[in-house]
Amino acid sequence: MSTVSLRQTTIAAGKRRSHFKKYLVAYSFILPNLIGFAIFTLVPMVFSLALSFMNWDGANQISWAGLDNFRRLLTDETFGISLRNTLFFVSGNVPLTMMASLGLALLLNQPLRGRNLFRTTFFFPYVASLVAVAVVWNMLFFPSAGPVNQVLISLGVQNPPRWAASVDWAMPTVIMASVWKGMGYYMIIYLAALQSIPSTLYEAAAVDGANGWQKFRHITLPMLTPATFFISVMLIISSFKIFDLIMVMTGGGPGRATNVLVIHIYNTAFREFRFGYSSSIAMVLLVMVLGITIVQFYMERRWVKYQ
Amino acid sequence: MPRLFAQRNAKFPVVLLSLLVVLALSGGVFAQDAAPVALRMTAWDVATTPYWQALIDAYEAQNPNVTVELTDLASADYQDVVNIMLSGGDTTDIITVKDIPGYSAMLTRGQIIPLTDLIEAADLDLSVYSGAAEELTYEGEIYALPFRSDIWILYYNKDIFDAAGIDYPTNDMTWDEFDALARQLTSGSGADKVYGGHFHVWRSTVQLATVQDGENTIIAEDYSFLAPMYNMVTGLQADGMIMDYGELRTGSIHYSGVFKNAQVAMLPMGSWFIATLIAAENAGEFDFDWGVAAYPHPEGVAAGTTAGTLTSLAINANSANQEAAWDFIQFYTGPEGAQVLAETGNLPAIRTPEVLATFAALDGVPEEAAEALQTTTVRLELPMHPRVGAIEQVLNEEHELIMTNSISVEEGIAEINRRIAELGEE
Repeated sequence: MSTVSLRQTTIAAGKRRSHFKKYLVAYSFILPNLIGFAIFTLVPMVFSLALSFMNWDGANQISWAGLDNFRRLLTDETFGISLRNTLFFVSGNVPLTMMASLGLALLLNQPLRGRNLFRTTFFFPYVASLVAVAVVWNMLFFPSAGPVNQVLISLGVQNPPRWAASVDWAMPTVIMASVWKGMGYYMIIYLAALQSIPSTLYEAAAVDGANGWQKFRHITLPMLTPATFFISVMLIISSFKIFDLIMVMTGGGPGRATNVLVIHIYNTAFREFRFGYSSSIAMVLLVMVLGITIVQFYMERRWVKYQ
Repeated sequence: MPRLFAQRNAKFPVVLLSLLVVLALSGGVFAQDAAPVALRMTAWDVATTPYWQALIDAYEAQNPNVTVELTDLASADYQDVVNIMLSGGDTTDIITVKDIPGYSAMLTRGQIIPLTDLIEAADLDLSVYSGAAEELTYEGEIYALPFRSDIWILYYNKDIFDAAGIDYPTNDMTWDEFDALARQLTSGSGADKVYGGHFHVWRSTVQLATVQDGENTIIAEDYSFLAPMYNMVTGLQADGMIMDYGELRTGSIHYSGVFKNAQVAMLPMGSWFIATLIAAENAGEFDFDWGVAAYPHPEGVAAGTTAGTLTSLAINANSANQEAAWDFIQFYTGPEGAQVLAETGNLPAIRTPEVLATFAALDGVPEEAAEALQTTTVRLELPMHPRVGAIEQVLNEEHELIMTNSISVEEGIAEINRRIAELGEE
């Protein structure tokens, strides 16, 4: 009896040890990334949170500001404009990118000739340098002699838009460039999801006499919801964070027509040296993105269907 | 040794003495004993700007124990990058000051050290900078010494003037005359179109002319003084006499390209463009004759009144080699540095007759330059102000809106007045 229990204890301890060992290996794999995350993301985030309640010009003494920075947001005209612009960009970029990438994935899931070539072609913008993409788009949409407006004029359009050089069209131009650049990446995710749909479902539907639209509506779309969920979360977060493409294409202009929140954060911090105030804008952005993401996860079980 | 003296070699003491004198004069014998010093300095566009390295080479030749290494940054976001570097505690010894907003940002935040005491100790005469030192003085202290001082002048393509049978611009031309001349010189259409004038996308190309009279500065309460110049430039743009702002902006079109391609007849631009044009002409990038004239001026303002920019050197408060940096700065901003700078085709802040003669005698400098560069008054682009960064942001944004015809000149000026007043309330 005693020998048995002793053996059992030994086995249990050994199991714990081996469990611990197993996790140790896992942790050691995560550690490099975790250290990087802590140093380059977590610490600056906590610092930025603290800074949002203070005044700091980046060199002199830091002073306590309390809620002053957040109160100032209410009267800051540029903050209001950049918030509106950000929401405009998100509401354009997210649905259009999703539709474009789904459309491409559906097309390139067909047994086309040269399918891999097309897939590579549509993925290419995603790997291309962002500055190059921005410059090429600005050339394509050059107001007078650009190829796009040449085509529009030859089609009989009297006064084609002046695209990035006009207050009304600058944001749509940026959104188009962003959709074009991002759609290839999300297309790959949709393609992977499409290929994991069991063909038996379509065969069963065919036997039941379903037409193409019905198959798409009742099999493809529901089976794609996990991918759609993932894409919508990632896309909304990245759209709120848009900075680089706009900085290169329009610099936030003309005037403040494409001034988005992150550009406002950048200008406030590095051109006006109000690090405290710019941190408070960053906090508002963080809370907004976090809130939307939480709501998305909360809504997930209502519409996302896992097999 | 005693044998030498015993030989009564009369030459020996003379040789020894002269050797010592030569060594002392060259400074080499003492400098070589000094510990090696490695200085770092911020600069922009090093590959296309020859003077950075030329001045360093000249200094290193005199001070063999010192090496100066350049940190090369892109010109367009130079000040942004320097601000970020300094906020992060960077220890680069010498900071090149590109413009006044950058200067006031760095000094109000204590990132560059005051030089006033050092200047007194070295007994430097700041009057050689003909007023530039006063422009850099803030609350009794000066934090940087200028080495380059550029003024705005008018470049013109002689071939286009000759073809049109029109006399070259004079050194006494009003903006109204410029306007009329630009309209006369515009010809052709499509890819062959020649534009009479050219205004680069910078806010300064339009706004500088509005402060030439000295009655207003770019930091003001009522900006209605901007109206005449904006009316003229938007008028030229609407009539197709200058290239479209929106296209220049979205196409990232540089003024040097359009001038070298002979697409524009007249280009108001800073004197730094002289060196660029000479280099391009020598490299065979274009073959037409070009000239320079004084910057046009508003009616009632003396000819030769222009706007200028200063490029200066400051010492980083975090530098570990402030003493060595100060020695380097004295050379760079002093008469010797000015001579080297002039030989590279740039205008030094010290404008002694010798320096100007060196500059004018350079191969490729147009003959009119000596006269066109004579100035009566130079106004600084932007005065010192604690909120100059925020004010400039507003001015840039509204400039863009006016120039893209998004709003009228009147609306733009009303917006500027309103937004600058709001900045003041904060």
